Amino acid sequence: MAGRPSQKRAPAAPPPPSKPLWLIYLLGWLIPGGAHLWLGRPTKGLAFLVMLPLMFAIGLAFEGRLFPFNLAEPLAALAAVADIAVGLPYFIAKALGSGAGRALAATFEYGNAFLISAGLLNAMVILDAHDIALGRK
Amino acid sequence: MGTPSHLLLMSLFAACVAIVGGVLMHDTLRQQARTAAEIFGGLMASALVLGWILYVFPL
Repeated sequence: MAGRPSQKRAPAAPPPPSKPLWLIYLLGWLIPGGAHLWLGRPTKGLAFLVMLPLMFAIGLAFEGRLFPFNLAEPLAALAAVADIAVGLPYFIAKALGSGAGRALAATFEYGNAFLISAGLLNAMVILDAHDIALGRK
Repeated sequence: MGTPSHLLLMSLFAACVAIVGGVLMHDTLRQQARTAAEIFGGLMASALVLGWILYVFPL
């Protein structure tokens, strides 16, 4: 068959992000939703800015513990990483001396669940900001 | 203040996670609300089912 050679186009490379990625990660980590606000997604950004610190505050109010980073206790170390992932609220709570936790409190485990989940959700929010910055969303 | 209800605390946790999950996954309010409702329902249903299953195995 006489035909033209197939002209398959290579998929166009996405344009480079308009803002430095490392700054997006840093802002998204320190201020939950901050990266979305900066990237022009104010509704999402405000939702994260309210919900994630609120979850963190509920965790502290439920007498959850901010776990120390101790590699001798791997599960506690993972929990510490998740706690730190929430960004500034973690450092503010530490500076205020809260987050000691009270294991005898009925809400202790719930408090831990809120604290850890807030950090893990913020990590997902940062990944979402990454996708937005690269034009995937 | 008495001991808070576990169901209430679980619902609060599920609601928070559902809202963040819904907002994270979609851009329109309608889709966000739908996904949040699905996540909330899934978390509550799975917790209740697991609770009933664990009831058979007392520690």
